[in-house]
Amino acid sequence: MNQQIIQSSNENLNQSSAPGRADWDKTALAALVEDGRIHSRVYTDSDIFELEMERIFSVSWLFVGHESEVSAPGDYQTRTLGRTPVIMVRGKDKSVRVLVNRCRHRGAQVCETESGNTKFFRCWYHGWVFDTDGALAELTGEEAYDDSMDREAMGLTPMPRVESYRGFVFASLAAEGEPLDDFLGGAKAIIDLMVDASPTSELYADGGSHKTEYRGNWKLVGMDGYHPLHLHASVMETIHRDPDSGIGSTHRSNPFDDTAATYTRDFGHGHSMLDFREHRIKHYEQHCEFLKKTPGGAEYIDAMHKAHGEERARMLLSISGDPHLGLFPNMQLIHNQIRIVTPLAADQTQVEMIAVRLGGVSDEINADRLRHHESFYGPAGAGSPDDTEIFERVQRGMIAEVNPWLDISRGVSREYKDVDGSTVGRISDEVPQRGIFRHWAKLMTQSA
Amino acid sequence: MASSTNKASQLDWQTQREVELFLFHEAELADANRYEEWLALWTEELLYWVPSNNDELDPQRKISIIYDKRTQLEDRIFRLGTKHAYAQRPRSRLTRLVSNIVLEDFDESSGGFVSSRFIVAELRNHVQTLWSGRMRHKLIREGSEWRINEKHVFLLNNDTPVGNMTFII
Repeated sequence: MNQQIIQSSNENLNQSSAPGRADWDKTALAALVEDGRIHSRVYTDSDIFELEMERIFSVSWLFVGHESEVSAPGDYQTRTLGRTPVIMVRGKDKSVRVLVNRCRHRGAQVCETESGNTKFFRCWYHGWVFDTDGALAELTGEEAYDDSMDREAMGLTPMPRVESYRGFVFASLAAEGEPLDDFLGGAKAIIDLMVDASPTSELYADGGSHKTEYRGNWKLVGMDGYHPLHLHASVMETIHRDPDSGIGSTHRSNPFDDTAATYTRDFGHGHSMLDFREHRIKHYEQHCEFLKKTPGGAEYIDAMHKAHGEERARMLLSISGDPHLGLFPNMQLIHNQIRIVTPLAADQTQVEMIAVRLGGVSDEINADRLRHHESFYGPAGAGSPDDTEIFERVQRGMIAEVNPWLDISRGVSREYKDVDGSTVGRISDEVPQRGIFRHWAKLMTQSA
Repeated sequence: MASSTNKASQLDWQTQREVELFLFHEAELADANRYEEWLALWTEELLYWVPSNNDELDPQRKISIIYDKRTQLEDRIFRLGTKHAYAQRPRSRLTRLVSNIVLEDFDESSGGFVSSRFIVAELRNHVQTLWSGRMRHKLIREGSEWRINEKHVFLLNNDTPVGNMTFII
């Protein structure tokens, strides 16, 4: 019943009769993406943005939150999926649900606080009350409704599909589609790099967050290994003063040089990563010395070896819980954070960076990780504001309709397929950009 | 919050005025992006803290927008002084008001806490942004000068998405 409602609204949106959107038939959309270049309209056109909301954000799996954000029955966390306001809530039966934050009567949001614990969600407009499992628990003035009101069908609308991988909860507005497992594919092993940075494989998304916004398109937040030496030149200069100060997010030597053992990797589905594994492991000893300076550091190293075995522990410690993974369309795992990208308009985006805490390690180690995060990320960090500054400059520049093509061909002749099927390039190659837009074009042009 | 010890009858007007002028001087240097001179206002050991999401968080368990000890603050000022801190190229144009200045547990010879409110208007890239909130300074007297030992900035909007805040708040 509920699923039908969502599907039927999608069908309405899919009609191309809406003004302006008629021009963007599938041939026109496909023509915006070539293998080495993309047309700037993919970032600037508001009609294309509307189409993205229905063909990507109403179809794809979207990251909602981490189970640790709602650890006890009644715990809830509100989020926005595409443009749909939702509540991730743990019910009395302890299962996690994702419910649309919209009263089934006249549409008011039933939960206005960002997070908390509750027994019910009450709509303040006419007093309808919903249980934490979404069921309509109280209908005020019930005698005015006859039998045609099916109370069971009037609960908060559940997202049609909800699945999780290692605590990461995903939902889709589409009733039909591929399982989460297939969607994540090769990215699952990369998510593991963050989870298994804990010797107990426990991740807590409770380290607070940075909420940022910029006047630019949501797809500008990507995996780009070409920009750090240039855009973040000020950070590179600062790192030289003290590599352990944290400002460089524990990067060692220069991982952004094309001669370094660092790679870009495209897993398909628009998922991609900056792969620092081979490079970081060369600095394993140095990183351990750094960890040992903090109380609990030596114990952390021991516990990792016991939990994950020698070889994997060395890799996990070296990578330091930083997968540098971009999961299309709305999640990234970078450094010590789960990042959620929320598109507001073609030229307006919000990014929330949620700091995680590792289970089974000392408070001091976790505090150090928070300090490292702060130094580079967030609205006053040394890195993020330069990123958003350039996204805004890009957005302003792209308005120019002369020579509207953007080049993403870097390294196209030297990329190759790895044994796991992923496409690999050097760290500065635009493998992620090509991967994202291949998938983008597929979603935007496939039949509904 | 404002302490009740500041009854008008007991108020040391000279110290009050000295502290006010010191905060105005700090505001002036911050507005003018005179980073090195602003940094010189601080004691050797220091804490510059801007919490994220709420005012009461435990910084050892939650991230802050800024949680700088001396090393991090020196890094911050060094970075802003390079040619490549693009988030401050061009620099923010700033004008701020500091008001509601109340001395708490304050000793004219050694120092203490000062609470105040601020409003900063920032102009950058043709967009004016208004920032506001509470501040709490811990001042220490070094010789004839006041120095900042701690500065806590509680932004009114620390729980909503914000843009570039790389100027000195």
